[in-house]
Amino acid sequence: MIIIDAVRTPFCRMGTDLAPLSAADLGRHASVSLLARTGIDPAEISEVIFGCVAQPADAANLARVIALRSGIPERVPASTVHRNCASGLEAITSAAERAAGGHGDLFLVGGVESMSRIPFLYHPATAAKYTALARAKSLGRKLRVVSTLRPRDFSPLVGLKLGLTDPITGLNMGETAEILAREFEISREEQDAFAAESHLKALAARPALDTELAPVPVNGHAVRHDNGLRDDSTCERLARLRPVFDRHCGTVTAGNSSQITDGAVALLVATEAKAAQLGVNPLGRLCGYAYTGCDPKRMGLGPVLATAKLLADLRHHPADADVIEINEAFAAQVLAVLKAFRDPKAAARAGLDHPLGDIPRDRLNPRGGAIALGHPVGATGARLVQTALAQLKESGGRAALATLCVGGGQGAAMWLESLN
Amino acid sequence: MKNSVPSAFRLEVGEDRIALLTFDQPDSPANVFNLATLEELDERLREIEAAQNLAGLVIQSAKPSIFIAGADLKTLSTAQANELSDLITLGQNVFGRLASLAITTVAAIHGACAGGGCELALACDWRVASDSPATRIGLPETRLGIIPAWGGSTRLPALVGLPTALGIILSGNLLKPVAAMHKGLVDEVVPPECLLAHARASLTKGKRRTKRRFFLHNPIGTALITRRARATLRTRTRGNYPAPFKALEVASRSVSTTALLSRRNEREAILDLAKRPETKNLTRMFFLSEDARKLRIPDATPAAVHSGAVVGAGVMGAGIAYWLSARGLHVILQDINADALAQGMKRIESHYAQAVKQRVMSKVDAARGLDRVVPASGSIPLKRMDIVIEAATEDLDIKRRIFEDLALRASPRTILATNTSALPLRKLASCIPLPDRLVGLHFFNPVPRMKLVEVVRADSTSAHTLATAVQFVQRLGKLPVVVADYPGFLVNRILMPYLVQAGTLFEQGGDPVAIDRSMLDFGMPMGPLRLLDEVGLDVALHVAKTLSSAFPNRLSVPLLMESMVRGGYLGVKSGAGFYLYDQRGPRPTPPALAMRGASRALPDDLGLQLARTMVAEARRCLEEGVAESPDHIDLAMILGTGFPPFRGGPLRYGLEAGLFRPHHTPEAMPVELGDLHSNPVSL
Repeated sequence: MIIIDAVRTPFCRMGTDLAPLSAADLGRHASVSLLARTGIDPAEISEVIFGCVAQPADAANLARVIALRSGIPERVPASTVHRNCASGLEAITSAAERAAGGHGDLFLVGGVESMSRIPFLYHPATAAKYTALARAKSLGRKLRVVSTLRPRDFSPLVGLKLGLTDPITGLNMGETAEILAREFEISREEQDAFAAESHLKALAARPALDTELAPVPVNGHAVRHDNGLRDDSTCERLARLRPVFDRHCGTVTAGNSSQITDGAVALLVATEAKAAQLGVNPLGRLCGYAYTGCDPKRMGLGPVLATAKLLADLRHHPADADVIEINEAFAAQVLAVLKAFRDPKAAARAGLDHPLGDIPRDRLNPRGGAIALGHPVGATGARLVQTALAQLKESGGRAALATLCVGGGQGAAMWLESLN
Repeated sequence: MKNSVPSAFRLEVGEDRIALLTFDQPDSPANVFNLATLEELDERLREIEAAQNLAGLVIQSAKPSIFIAGADLKTLSTAQANELSDLITLGQNVFGRLASLAITTVAAIHGACAGGGCELALACDWRVASDSPATRIGLPETRLGIIPAWGGSTRLPALVGLPTALGIILSGNLLKPVAAMHKGLVDEVVPPECLLAHARASLTKGKRRTKRRFFLHNPIGTALITRRARATLRTRTRGNYPAPFKALEVASRSVSTTALLSRRNEREAILDLAKRPETKNLTRMFFLSEDARKLRIPDATPAAVHSGAVVGAGVMGAGIAYWLSARGLHVILQDINADALAQGMKRIESHYAQAVKQRVMSKVDAARGLDRVVPASGSIPLKRMDIVIEAATEDLDIKRRIFEDLALRASPRTILATNTSALPLRKLASCIPLPDRLVGLHFFNPVPRMKLVEVVRADSTSAHTLATAVQFVQRLGKLPVVVADYPGFLVNRILMPYLVQAGTLFEQGGDPVAIDRSMLDFGMPMGPLRLLDEVGLDVALHVAKTLSSAFPNRLSVPLLMESMVRGGYLGVKSGAGFYLYDQRGPRPTPPALAMRGASRALPDDLGLQLARTMVAEARRCLEEGVAESPDHIDLAMILGTGFPPFRGGPLRYGLEAGLFRPHHTPEAMPVELGDLHSNPVSL
């Protein structure tokens, strides 16, 4: 599958510049900017597939809403996919599977997340009371229902918290990172250093990052930049933060975790034949992918098994990749994965017979990662593909590996090549 | 009955004994009332009167989106006095026959139901309308200088009450179905597929009983209502338009007199109005607008326009992008940087918000319209665009660079249009390959409100490009006037000497309020100094300078205006110009007043003198061939500047005021209009 081009919105921390926009707005913006940039006729598209985790209640099948709002003809079908943090990747691989099955040759795909707009929810018991209230016909009956309301009914459930908590184990994502930090002996200092480095790389790559995005007009001014990057994320400052998931002896803080962010990424992918027919100058090629499952309590290790499977399928070695994008869900989690790649004991702990091979740090997340840029969960997978290919084009590299851990205990990995 | 002429009405009676009368005028897209169709309707009604055991009558139209468009205006405007009188009487009698049928009658209204069509519907007991976007109901006669004289001015007040009836008749608005239902003009609104069924069902309601309105229609109530309406009319029309006053008189008298006498009042009023030049001018305006709406360029096949780009997200660019997207086009909005684009998008959002507020469109339609605008900075491909409209800064070098760039990015068949108001197109044509694609599309500010678009034909513009541009303008719901590539084109060229003269009068010490009032009395919607403030003194100065260099001996820019612009007095956009704009309302700006010369008195006929300046310039435009005919010039000035429609436009006004002879021979004019230098306005 050929990846023709990609555009994303700026990634902004929840509750800031992009908060006024809905997930559909964000997805639409990335899509129309991409279509304008490539000049491709929307009528050529076979299907629209977008990934989204917190699928908005008022935009059922978000991909369809984005498609119709982006001027794509009604007769083009659309589908929304969900593989937690790898939803953005899932959209791309779903398109590849459609094409392989003969169901289309050009796809608009991507990932979207508006974490600012994840709703608050009523407890089911409270919702039942409201339903009873709506059904109560007389004033007397209504008053009776009202009298059953308790203080608990007025404090809603926070959807965001629910979404980031694994229902099988009852642990939230940060708690799984704490487990990895302990088991793989990742110190607080190492995590903070990794976080500081992420910001430094992102800041240095700011001009390059700006070429990945299309500025979004919000209320009369243009949102032009990713706003998660900080120029004051030094190890000293990070060291002062208190651990957020385990107050007592934890090491994972807000500073060495990915940020909660709004953003969308759109890509146009096509079969080789279609790309040739369109006469475009593409970004690269999807060569292979793998999805694997693992222990939900240690979801952060997902990339290990997924990459192992991918490399085995393609008979590649990590060093064959010129750019390696590992999503920075948590510094502890990435560092645990890196350890598993190089250290036999860690590899065994992660379920491998032997380590896959050390990853050169200068090839890892060269433009920074989610710790600096943010992690709009449904979109990140797509961003990794975009940035990896953009970096290959810029540096003249040949191959890239993109991999993510997935909440709920999965891993996703993808091998990409440039067309240089 | 004339059997040789195919019939316009079809009468069928079904097994349920319901008579269905279908109006389907042959060889015409619309149903209109003229002598022939009225006589035929009369025949049919007689047949219905004579028929036995009918359960009721339903009247419908067979046209896809028109119920009845009203009276045939061509007949109406060319009829002699006695012909007109007969036509009025005939219509009154026919509708009177309908209203006095013993059986219950229902009008099933789908599509446009205006004027005489509405009056027919009013003569029925019940009215059911479809909720189609094509359905509109109203009495626009006063806009044409006449009144509803086929019983409408009598039946409507009786049906909905005098105040509501006056609102409908005096505004002349065509109402959407639900609005009409709220006012009582129609009884039910249903989907088009259910229209006939519901019309039939309405027959079971029986004949309608007129509601007695004691509180409204007693002498005191009526007097209060009428007095208020008259005051509003006076302010609005400044005494220039007699038709609304006549309509007010007839309608308010109808509630306290017999139907027969009221019909006589209607007839007398319309016969009186028909003689007046104001009415003839208003009717002419209607025909000129229709001509512009249907204008075709000979020997050229226009191409359809589905997608476009607008370059420049300023006030005009945003306005144009809004309008295009609201009419269903996908628009790419381009500007040099993301901030300019963001501001442009905000302007477009407020246009849509305004439209929703004014109930011009629903929230959903506004959201979908906004989605059709794609902001994009950067050099994106424009190969698939059917048209690109440049609305960037009024600077020749900037425009040249933009067009050089556009010419490369667009396809050979993309129309390249410019919204320039003052720069010559030929200077843009010389810097692009395939300049046959170039045309001017000069929109007016504010874009949503101004119907005129000057379509500027450069020497290089091909017939195909021109035809495509004209059809595009028509498809947007605007009215095109084709003009030549001369400085200032048509409207700005004619306006400028007039505005400069007003500015000069101010400079010489004239009272700004008096200057403006003289033109308001003449019938302009806004005085010249106020207009300068609205346009922006900097913009006006720029246009004035361009014209001044093109016509060096005729036009010189008042120094005062340059001083005002330098001092930051730009008009509305800077908060102050000739007038100060704040919560207290516009009043003359003290510092500007101080810049004048010694205070001087103004002549009594100042309005006429200023108007004659416009007439003289219009005359020059005609002679130079800026526009193709005096009709086009008049239409453009009325639509583009609000030149009083009742005066017919500058050339018609000049003709009627005896300022020149009808045949445009370049001979000396009876009154020396000359130029400002040799004929300064004496104070």
